[in-house]
Amino acid sequence: MEEERRQTGRRTLLKAGGLVVASGAIGSIWAFVTGVSTKGNARKRAMWIRIVDRPTLSEKTSDYKRFSGNDMFALYRPLKTQRDGAGSFEAEQASKAERVAAWISERKPGYSLPDVQLSEGAWTVMHSTKPGVGLLSWTRISVRTPAELGTPRYTAPPEEMASTVKAAARLYGAGLVGIAPMNEAYVNLQALRESENEKDKDIVFGDVDVPSVSDTKFVIPKKMKWVIAIAIPMDLDLLSSAPTALGDAASALGYSHSAFVVSSLAEFIRGLGYEAIPCVNDTAQSVPFAVDAGIGELGRLNKLVTPEFGPAVRLCKVFTDLPMACDKPVDFGLVKFCRNCKKCAEACPSRALSFDDEPNFKTRGPWNNPGHKAWFEDSYKCLQYWQKSNSACGICLVSCPYTKGNEAWVHEGVKATASIAPAADPVFRIMDNAFGYGKQHDPEQWWMNKSQSGRRG
Amino acid sequence: MINGADVFTITIRKRAWWFWALAGLWLLLEILLLQTAVASAQEREYRAATISWMLVGLLATLGCFAWLRRRGPHKHSNLSEQHREATTSEPTSISTAN
Repeated sequence: MEEERRQTGRRTLLKAGGLVVASGAIGSIWAFVTGVSTKGNARKRAMWIRIVDRPTLSEKTSDYKRFSGNDMFALYRPLKTQRDGAGSFEAEQASKAERVAAWISERKPGYSLPDVQLSEGAWTVMHSTKPGVGLLSWTRISVRTPAELGTPRYTAPPEEMASTVKAAARLYGAGLVGIAPMNEAYVNLQALRESENEKDKDIVFGDVDVPSVSDTKFVIPKKMKWVIAIAIPMDLDLLSSAPTALGDAASALGYSHSAFVVSSLAEFIRGLGYEAIPCVNDTAQSVPFAVDAGIGELGRLNKLVTPEFGPAVRLCKVFTDLPMACDKPVDFGLVKFCRNCKKCAEACPSRALSFDDEPNFKTRGPWNNPGHKAWFEDSYKCLQYWQKSNSACGICLVSCPYTKGNEAWVHEGVKATASIAPAADPVFRIMDNAFGYGKQHDPEQWWMNKSQSGRRG
Repeated sequence: MINGADVFTITIRKRAWWFWALAGLWLLLEILLLQTAVASAQEREYRAATISWMLVGLLATLGCFAWLRRRGPHKHSNLSEQHREATTSEPTSISTAN
């Protein structure tokens, strides 16, 4: 009897021990996959996002220089004229306007008047400002400086400063924030012209205390050695109706959120007693700063792909002289995944994306900055499709297997496995297709869905 | 199992450790698939939701089948054979007299 009781006790103890070990194992896997920390309910990045010393596509040659600043929008008109003859650009714009009017009248799904105006409404904040002016002012807008409050400027160790700034950025609406060291090579040579009649304005670095904007140039103080790179997640449900005018609202909203976030953060930094320059797409290349700050990796789309939101983000940044600890680049297996996948290239209706197996140095036109390794895209073809579809497309952003909603747990598990076991990449690519991800959502259903939803986002 | 009018024999058949491990794995998969099905519908990924629901159903059917099959008599088990012999002659295992 005594022996039997002792055995029963040992068995219970073993069972309890097994349960504890199993719970611990499941908990560890969960923490690894999601990044949920037990310390103070903090949510860190998932452990499968590895921190590395150099970005995954970091190879650069001596050709890598400061970019002219002329993006595809500035280049399209002369290129179109050069390729299709004088007047071709104007003719294309006229037929586009006629098509838009007809589609609005016909109430074509995704192009009805509410669809078009939803996008226009979403642009409001971004359209109310421009580099150096309004929200994107390079100097103080309204915040009271420490001097005005009768106090010295705020100082703290660099790590603490970085945490403070990141917390503020997240509050204002940033999805991901990272700190990178200033790299002058990423800053454009000239500001983008608002119109063809406008004169070129140089962007220069100077030994000055405060940033300045004049009719001829933008001056960045050399003491601004830190860049806060920010990713704003786009509304995925809205973006999934791309390519439509409705889908454009996701980009428009992303830009307006960006303008709000960087301007608020710049004012916060000025309020601590430092200088800050808020930028959206202007002034510098956002992608290399975001890569250096560990927000994501450069993918096949030649855009930043984040582990959390895929490429469905808008990037913006703030230059500052506030000393902060810098972040390091990350590697979550994206480049290896992109080598196999090619889903974005296949989904692209204009065949603008590269099908090359390996990233290389071959640029596709003056819109690409040479001297670095990438899968370069043909932006001319891309923008031509924008004209045809009367939208800013976005199919490549939606089709990427890393672009997933945050509701289903399984996506985290798949991304974690892809990061640590690239051999499984082809299987995940097949599964992504089989489950129907990346397909266009019904634009008409979006209105019904959104009007009934009581949830945020 | 009832042997005669006033003697009951209760047979406690222990499931192997690997059966419980498989059952745990089955439960985890069911939870994951169920969550994927519900969440995919919320994300308006209807094809993913449909496939997930189908997998939930398939796995549930397989699970039930496995569970019920294990509960039935062990035709090929040595333990079962010994037990049957024991219970048909004189109950020597756990028995309760009325």
